[in-house]
Amino acid sequence: MPDDLADVYRTTYRALVRFVYRKVWDVERAEDLAQEAFARALVHKPENARGWLFVVAANMARDDARRWARERRHLTLLGAEPQDSTPAVDEALHAEGERSQVRAALEQLTPRDREVLLLWDSGLSYEEIAAQTGLARGAVGTTLARARRRLVDAYEAGKKGEHVARG
Amino acid sequence: MSHVDDGTLHAYLDGELPPDEARGVDAHLAQCPDCRTRLEEERALIGRADELLGRAAPPDRALPPFRPGDAKAPGRLWWQVRLPLAWAATVVLALGAGLYLGSGTLRREPPAEKRTGDLAASETIAPSKRPASVPARPPAALRVRDNAAVAPRERDRAMAPAAAPAPPTGLLDARSYALTGPPLTVDSARVLLGADPRVVPDLPIRSVHRARMIGYAAVVVVEQPLDSSTAIAVINGRPSQLMLAEVVVAGAAQPDSLAPAARKAKPAAAPARAAATDHADAGLFLDVRGPVPADSLVALRRRLQPLRP
Repeated sequence: MPDDLADVYRTTYRALVRFVYRKVWDVERAEDLAQEAFARALVHKPENARGWLFVVAANMARDDARRWARERRHLTLLGAEPQDSTPAVDEALHAEGERSQVRAALEQLTPRDREVLLLWDSGLSYEEIAAQTGLARGAVGTTLARARRRLVDAYEAGKKGEHVARG
Repeated sequence: MSHVDDGTLHAYLDGELPPDEARGVDAHLAQCPDCRTRLEEERALIGRADELLGRAAPPDRALPPFRPGDAKAPGRLWWQVRLPLAWAATVVLALGAGLYLGSGTLRREPPAEKRTGDLAASETIAPSKRPASVPARPPAALRVRDNAAVAPRERDRAMAPAAAPAPPTGLLDARSYALTGPPLTVDSARVLLGADPRVVPDLPIRSVHRARMIGYAAVVVVEQPLDSSTAIAVINGRPSQLMLAEVVVAGAAQPDSLAPAARKAKPAAAPARAAATDHADAGLFLDVRGPVPADSLVALRRRLQPLRP
């Protein structure tokens, strides 16, 4: 089993991080959660490790996001700690701007469309996506077509809005 | 066959259409210019969506090592780590105070400093191998037994909090950084430090933890076993902005003798390394702590090399 899982790890770890990242939007947390999912897989030894990992990671990411939201409210009350400003941070902020536009566009999708799109982008097949989401295999293409169109439309709309706002 | 719907086109372009259906689509496209146009539109849409998703992708990092059989090691989350950490710190503190009080005749001799160095190491190590901490303890316990009977040690441990007001400076140094986070991947450590973490090249890496130390923006502690019962902690600190210009050595195991040595050793070692490493090297505070003689620690520190991806 560990050998199998080691293979799955090699082929799936990055995809899992990519998937979770779009839910928690923090690389470190995404990596922690992906690692944690693999640690749990070691214990549970699931039949279909790959699919199982995505389900578990999605659940953990959701719980994590909730807890994070709670913590953030709490932190707001406490007042934020001042952050170091370094060139690296500025660079990160620029990339962050790009990212947040895509993020905002993604958030305009329905949860199901978004999930299907993110699973596909993380390298899952239609078959696996169908098993994961409960969609019929034949409906995955339709869902993906809609999700892609909405993502692009929402992104372009956001861009336009930004230009208007900047005058 | 009537026109091909969007979903089928996407499945076709994604290479996810069953072969017989794909042949049907091929046949239809061959004789339907409208659908061929749509096919290209959908292809462009898919490309655009992929591009956008790529912009919201995490940075592509190297695959961290997978350690099967070490189920607890990968990424325990911080709230799972915090309690055992607090527990370990308490025990180590108590042991430290007990050791200090129990070895009254020795405490003013240099070796006593060395022993507090041991404690620095065991504090670092304890949380990450909590289940395996029993094998790590006996050496410390044995050493204590040399100096004081077991019973007094137990008593000292119990009264340690009350006896703590005047701990030796070495113990303070040991407390000068605190493990905070979950185990890190090497890549996360690299990002935190903005440079390759320094390790002793030929030793395996048991764990990587994040730590906090006053005056440092990021501190990473790499635990490397020397043998089955001994391990050293390599401390990598990225000084916060104000201190980047100078190399700061703080909280060394033997502040009076070791810190100046380190200050001298580092510039000497730097040119050799600098050729092969990034320029951030000079900015990193490096220290090695562990239950070995101070000169061994210095030797180990000289051997530190950046851990390449």
